Amino acid sequence: MSNSASSEHGLQITDLRFGYGLDAPVIEACTLHVPKATVHGVLGCSGCGKTTLLRLIAGLERPDSGSIHVEGIQLAGEGHHLAPEQRPVGMVFQDYALFPNRSVRKNVMFGMSEGSKRDRMEQADSLLQRVGLLDLADRMPHTLSGGQQQRTAIARSLARRPRLMLLDEPFSSLDAETRSETREETMAILRASQVTTLVVTHDPAEAELIADEVTWLSCAQDAGRS
Amino acid sequence: MSQGGGGSRVPWVLGSCLAALFVAIPVGVVLASVFRSSDGEWSHLAQTRLGLYASNTAILALSVCALAAVFGISTAWLVTMHRFPGRRLLSWALLLPLAVPAYLSAYALTDLLQFSGPLQTWMRETFNLQAGEYWFPDMRTLGGAITVLAFALYPYVYFAARIAFLEQSRSALEASRTLGRGPFRTFLTVAIPLARPALIGGLLLVLMETVADFGAVDYCAVDTFATGIYRTWFGLESQIAASQLSALLLSVLFLVIGVEWMLRRSNRYHRTAVRCSQPQATRLGPVAGLLAMFLCLVPVTIGFLLPAGRLLDLALFQGDSRASEVLAELVWTSAMLGIIAAVIALILAMVLGYARRIRPNALTGLASGISRSGYAIPGPVIAIGVLVSLGWADHRINDVSTSMFGDEARTGLIFTGSILALIIGYQTRFLAVSLSFVESSLLRIHRNLDDAARTLGVGPAKAFLGIHLPLIRTGLIAGGLLVFVDVVKELPMTLMLRPFNLDTLAVRVYQLASDERLEEASTAALAIILVGFIPVILLSRLIERNRKSHQLKELR
Repeated sequence: MSNSASSEHGLQITDLRFGYGLDAPVIEACTLHVPKATVHGVLGCSGCGKTTLLRLIAGLERPDSGSIHVEGIQLAGEGHHLAPEQRPVGMVFQDYALFPNRSVRKNVMFGMSEGSKRDRMEQADSLLQRVGLLDLADRMPHTLSGGQQQRTAIARSLARRPRLMLLDEPFSSLDAETRSETREETMAILRASQVTTLVVTHDPAEAELIADEVTWLSCAQDAGRS
Repeated sequence: MSQGGGGSRVPWVLGSCLAALFVAIPVGVVLASVFRSSDGEWSHLAQTRLGLYASNTAILALSVCALAAVFGISTAWLVTMHRFPGRRLLSWALLLPLAVPAYLSAYALTDLLQFSGPLQTWMRETFNLQAGEYWFPDMRTLGGAITVLAFALYPYVYFAARIAFLEQSRSALEASRTLGRGPFRTFLTVAIPLARPALIGGLLLVLMETVADFGAVDYCAVDTFATGIYRTWFGLESQIAASQLSALLLSVLFLVIGVEWMLRRSNRYHRTAVRCSQPQATRLGPVAGLLAMFLCLVPVTIGFLLPAGRLLDLALFQGDSRASEVLAELVWTSAMLGIIAAVIALILAMVLGYARRIRPNALTGLASGISRSGYAIPGPVIAIGVLVSLGWADHRINDVSTSMFGDEARTGLIFTGSILALIIGYQTRFLAVSLSFVESSLLRIHRNLDDAARTLGVGPAKAFLGIHLPLIRTGLIAGGLLVFVDVVKELPMTLMLRPFNLDTLAVRVYQLASDERLEEASTAALAIILVGFIPVILLSRLIERNRKSHQLKELR
């Protein structure tokens, strides 16, 4: 384990590099420290590897070099690669990726593995209560509005009690009217859960609104802290 | 001429109703036989053979479906989601068994594995064994028939699963991974449930083909409904009992289709994911890669390489001594039947499809629905329906003729045993194939074109010839080709309906193989396989197009 890794850091990325085949690397020399239980914004132009960064942290891609730690636990680096299902990381996809064949409650229960079915159902319901969707627990995802779908996706990720939450352009597919309302609700839920959060966005104003700190990711350049 | 649109729509609607009669009459005749008395033949049948037919058909259908599901789904998942040696070639080769009709596969595999076949002979000589000193699988059993059919039909499931997996949203699978489920559990709990409607559709095709199969089960000496109907008709010469057997089988098939239809209605999945990026293939390690390659090679080998290889070997080194003279005539007969049937099927499909487009109502919808259901009806059942209804028509014509002009004016059998009977039978069964291509091609044409034509004062017929026909050309060619191939491969219906001295490739192969003269049949069998490559190429192109359109979406 790298000696600089500390459990004080919610997320610690050191000298990360990633590229597809022989093309120029998408991410190079990326270093990032996010304190525990804070919300961190990642800004950048389109195609500069914001989503790729999240995918690397979630374990959906394997970095060429560099390391990733979450609360002192090494997820990747030095020939070590934890599979996505073994990482304490929750991810809310840009399209939410709800399972269309499962109800809202069953989507939330999907990632739970402990306890009896009854326990898991109660847990799911208390999470849905927290995100204000308990009334819709038996509905199918396609009957929900965009904001409701997003809150379902957040509840589903929180159900595994992750130590780090990754949000990929969480508000981009919502219309302007519901956007600010959803944004406030979502951030309130995440802050109440006290989980370290990394939010990717292309909108600087939005990043300032929701994040404690913001990082600019420029195209294949170093990612420095602002 | 009516105002505005110009030209009438009524002929199209009438035409579509007439086209649907090709399916409705044989089916109706078979179902109506339930109300006729068979003078105790039915009760005799019920007491002696019916249980055997039912249990064999049920065991056969369930086992074939299970095996086809295992091989079809697992190989589709492997070639879609993973990278391993030979993946590109295998993803195409896995469709190859479609080129070998099950009966040819049964002949070739039996020949390969029988006591006097090359494999057992080699074993005895190499290990110095005597007959009875070793165990060897016997193809002429229920197990043999299951093996043959499963490896001949799994490509239907493979094709459906491959398209479904390609269309699946990547993020749903990745979400499952980030929620703590490993690759295999994700496959079982996310990928398969999401693909379920497509998988059930593929399995339903396997089920119907299995129940309808005559050649393979006949050769493997397994008594099913299909062989039972054939024997009751020709062996017992009991028309009514054969019709009643057909009616029973039809009712069960319609029940299965009805259940599937209801399941599909209640289980309509909506895509919640807005973006739909194609799943990314992960590279397998050397050991896992070899295992994957091996698993994909098993069905290709049993379903294609072994039977086609054996037939090629026989054709090259033993062959039909009279091959060239007989073969030319057989190819000519098969091709002519195929072309006539395909052209008529396309014309009927265009009438049905276009009538439904310009007059979308309950009547045209029903006509299209009835015409589509023919594909679910086994060949022997259709043959019975056609024979009974044409026999009835012949007798009525005879009656009218003799009552008007006296006994000398007997007309005899005009339709029964004519090429017409055969062509009608082919329409009943294969109209569904051309119709599905025509309807899906028509759907891709924007309605504004029809409206534009109307505002320009062009009637439906002229609009069809000038606008729709050129635009659906590709779909017509594909649909026509598939009907052609189906007709060339078709065995039981041709056997039952053909005129006395008319031999097709399939009939000739069946007769020779039944006489244990497979060497002589091998050349004609290879000709059938050659024609069978057409759908393989069409389907693999469809997969390729699907893959490419998803890559395009991802780039955007």
